[in-house]
Amino acid sequence: MRELRRNMRLIGVLLVCFFVGVGGWFGYTTWTQGSRWAMSSSNTRLNRAKNSVVMGSITDRDGYALAWTDAEGVRRYAGDFAVRLALSQTVGDTMSMSGTGVQTFFASTLVGMSGSIIDRTWQWLSGETARGDDIQLTVDAKLSGVIAQNFPSGYTGAVVVINYKTGEILAPVSMPEYDPESLGTNVPDTAYFNRCLQGRYTPGSTFKIVTLASALENLPGALSHAFTCAGSREFGGGAVTCLSGTKAHGQMDLHSAFVESCNVSFATLSYELGQSALLRTAEAFGFDDDFTFSDVMLYASSFPKDIGSVSELAWSGVGQGRVLVTPLHMAMIAGAVANGGVMMEPKLVKQITGSTGLPRLRAAPGVYRRVMSASTASIIGSYMEDTVASGTGSRARIQGYTVCGKTGSAETSDDKNVETNAWFVGYLAEEQYPYAVAVVLEQGGSGGNLAATLAAKALSEAIDLVG
Amino acid sequence: MTKKTSEADALRKALRRADTSLLVYAVALFQVSAMLLLTLRTDPIDRQALLLAGAMPAVTLLCAKGLPRFWKIDRVVLTLVLFLCSVSLVTLTAIARASVTALTQAVYIAVGLFGMVVGIVFIRHFRHWNRWKIVFMALSVAFIALPLAIGETKYGAKNWIQVVPDVVSVQPSEFVKMSLMVVLAACLSERQSRAMKLLSILFGAALCGVLLLERDLGALLLYFLTTVILYFIATSNGWLSLAGLGVGAAGAVGAYYVFDLVRERVRIWQNPWADAADSGYQLIQSLIAIGSGGLIGMGLGLGMPRMIPLYHSDFVFAAICEQFGMIFALCLLAVYALVILRGISIAMSCRDGFHALLAFGIVTILGLQTLLIVGGNIRLIPLTGVTLPFIAAGGSSMVSCLTGVGMLLGISSLNADQDEEDVRRAQWQEGERA
Repeated sequence: MRELRRNMRLIGVLLVCFFVGVGGWFGYTTWTQGSRWAMSSSNTRLNRAKNSVVMGSITDRDGYALAWTDAEGVRRYAGDFAVRLALSQTVGDTMSMSGTGVQTFFASTLVGMSGSIIDRTWQWLSGETARGDDIQLTVDAKLSGVIAQNFPSGYTGAVVVINYKTGEILAPVSMPEYDPESLGTNVPDTAYFNRCLQGRYTPGSTFKIVTLASALENLPGALSHAFTCAGSREFGGGAVTCLSGTKAHGQMDLHSAFVESCNVSFATLSYELGQSALLRTAEAFGFDDDFTFSDVMLYASSFPKDIGSVSELAWSGVGQGRVLVTPLHMAMIAGAVANGGVMMEPKLVKQITGSTGLPRLRAAPGVYRRVMSASTASIIGSYMEDTVASGTGSRARIQGYTVCGKTGSAETSDDKNVETNAWFVGYLAEEQYPYAVAVVLEQGGSGGNLAATLAAKALSEAIDLVG
Repeated sequence: MTKKTSEADALRKALRRADTSLLVYAVALFQVSAMLLLTLRTDPIDRQALLLAGAMPAVTLLCAKGLPRFWKIDRVVLTLVLFLCSVSLVTLTAIARASVTALTQAVYIAVGLFGMVVGIVFIRHFRHWNRWKIVFMALSVAFIALPLAIGETKYGAKNWIQVVPDVVSVQPSEFVKMSLMVVLAACLSERQSRAMKLLSILFGAALCGVLLLERDLGALLLYFLTTVILYFIATSNGWLSLAGLGVGAAGAVGAYYVFDLVRERVRIWQNPWADAADSGYQLIQSLIAIGSGGLIGMGLGLGMPRMIPLYHSDFVFAAICEQFGMIFALCLLAVYALVILRGISIAMSCRDGFHALLAFGIVTILGLQTLLIVGGNIRLIPLTGVTLPFIAAGGSSMVSCLTGVGMLLGISSLNADQDEEDVRRAQWQEGERA
C-alpha cells in the first residue's frame, strides 16, 4: 500500500502539473494573441459590432474628416464631393463592398476590438459608451481630390503618389470611383475595385527599370553595351518589336536604349541575363512576394518563375507576357530608385487614437528591403532624369524641379486596334519633396502622352499641397 | 487519562468532514441568477429557463444536503461536480439553437444523478469483484464491439448504437470507460497473481483494438493512457510502463501515416490559418471565440457562439470562453483540478488496493479527458474528439461521468465509515483502560 500511495502521489502531482500547464498556456496565449484572433477577418462578430458600437472616425493627414458617425448613428463621408469620391475605395464603406478599404481592413480597430485586453476591460469597467478607435491616414485629401478631377475623362486607371523616404501613401486614386453614401445606385462597373492595390497590370516598358538594374548588377560591361535596333529582332522563333514600328532606333547604347525605350535592346539584355538572373532581380524588387504589409492589403506582383521559351524571356525583359504589377508597387519601385536603392514599406495609417484621446500607434517608417545597390540606383536615376529631360517622358517636366521617370505602353491584347495601357512612373529628385508617382491609364495609348501629363500634374500639386 | 481522551477527540477532529454549506449556496446562487438572466433575455420570457431557475437549485440542495445524510460521502467533490453540471445547463441554455438541447441535457443530468446514486450503492454493497471480473471483461468487450455490428458513423467514428431509433442513441465507449476502471482495479490490486495483472493489460489492449476498428481515436488514446498509468501505479514497474508509452507513441506515429483523419488534424493544428475557410474553420472559429471573449467574456447569452462548429459538444470550452471570458474559464479549469486533487486524496486514504486503484482510475480518466479536449480547443495539442466531462452536451458522457463520480463518492463514504470505526475503537480502548 505504501508503494501504491507513493505512485499515486507521483502521478497525481504530474496530473496537476499538466493542469497548471494547460491553464498557463491558455492564459498566456489568450492574453498575448487573443486580440489578434478577434481581429481576424473570419470573425463575424465584427460585423455585428459595427451596428452596436460607434465606429471611430477616419481623417486625412491634416485632420480633415473622411468618415465619421453622426449623432443619429449614420456613417457620413467627406463633405468635399471630389475628395469623397477620390478616396472612396481607400476609405471603403460599411458594407465592405470595397474589400481592401480601411473600414474593412481596419474594422476591428474602428469598432474598438483591437485594443489590448486591458483596454477593453478598462472600457467596460469605466462604463463608457462603446466607441471604436479613430484612425488618421497618411493620405492628403485635397491632393487626392485634385488628381481625381484632373484624371482624363472617359478613362479608367489609377494614380498613386507616395513619399519615397517614409513610404507614406499620399494620394491613392482609382478610377472609376463611387459614392460611399449611396451604395448600389449609379455605381460604375468595377468602381469598388481599388486599382492602386488590386489592379495587376502588365507593366510594359516601366519594367525596364528592373531589367536595367539586373543588367547593371549582373552583366559586366553593361554600361558600354552597344545595340543595333532594326525595329524588330527574332528570339527563338518569336519577334520582339519596337512600338515606334515604322522607324528603327538604329545604333544604341545602354543610356539611349533606356531613354528612347528600345524594346529590341532590352530584349537583348534580358536574353543575355538569362531567366534566373532576371528572376532574382525581380524577386529582390518584390515580385512574387505575398506582401504582408500591416497597413495595406497589396496584391502580389508576379514575374514568371517557369519561363519556357527564349521568346518569353525576351518579352518578360520588356515587361510583357506574364509579368504583372500593381500601381502602388510600381510607385514603390520608382521610389526605391530615388531613395538610393532602399524600398520603403507602404504606410497608410499615420496614427490610431483610442477612445481616451491618447495616441495608441504612431506610424514609424519601415524599410521593406534594399532592392539594389546605391550606385545602381544612381545610374538608373540619371537615366530616368534624361528620359524626362529629353526622352519619351518629356511631357512630365515641371518647371523649376527635377523630374525623373519612365514611360510604358503595355500591350494587353494581340489585337492591334486595342490601345495600349499607358504607364508613367517617376519621382521628384528634390530633397524637400520626396514624392514618387505611378500612373496607369487603361487603353490610354502611349505612356508619354496622357499618363506623363497626369503624372506631372500629380507631382506639381503634391509640391503645392502636401505639407 | 485526560491526555488519552483528547487523542480520540483529536482523531475525530481530524476526520471531521468539510462543511460545504457556503459552497452549496454559492452554486445555487449562480444557478438562480444565471437562469433568471436567461429567462428575461427574450420577450416573452423564456419559460424553460424560468423552470430551470427553480429546478436547478432545488435539485442541487437536495443532492448536496440530502445524499450526505444517507452516506458519509465527500461533499466537496459532490458540490463541485454539481457546479460543473450547472455550468453545462446554463451554457447550453444560453447558446443552443434549439431550447430542447438544454432540456435534453437536464434530463441527462437527472439520469446521471440517478446513476451517481447507483454508483454509490454499487460500491458500498457489491463486494464480489474478484469473482465477477471475468464476466465484466466479457460484457465490456461485447458492448464496446456492438457498434461494429449494428452501429452508425458520426464524425468519422463508428461508435454509436441506436437504442430507440432517432430518439436514444448510446456511445458504448463512454460506459465501458468506467467498467474498464473497475476491471483494471480488480485485476491489478495487490493480491492478484502476475498472470492476472498481465490479463488486465491484454484486456485494455483488446478494448483499444476494438476502438481502433471503430476509428474512435480519442477514446482509444484515453483508454490507453489510463491503462498504462494504472498499471504503473499498481505494479511500480516503471520500465514496462515506459515501454508501453513507447509502443503508444509508435502507434501514434503509425496512425499519422495510416489515417488521413489524424494527418489532417495534425496539419490543422500546425497551421489552422492556412485554410481558415475550410479545414481550419473549426479551430479558427474556436480561437476567434476565445479571443472575442477576452478577460471577462461577451456576456451570458451575448456574442455569437454558434459561429463555432460543434459549439455545444467538442468546442463547448471555447463557447464558455466567449460567454464568460478567460478568468471564468481558468476558474473552471481550477474546479476540475480541485475535483481531481480531492479524488486523489480519497484514493490515498483508501484501506485496500482495489478501491484506491478504482478511485484513482476514475479521477485520472476524468482529468485526462479534460486536458485533451481543452488542449485541443486552445490549439495546444491536435484536437481529439473526447468530451468535456460534466459539461459537453451528450447523454452517454454525462451519465458515465456522473456514475464514475458516484463510485468515487461511494469509496469516500467507505473511507469515512472505516475512519469512524477507528475513532470508535480508540474510544473503546480508552474506556477499557479507564
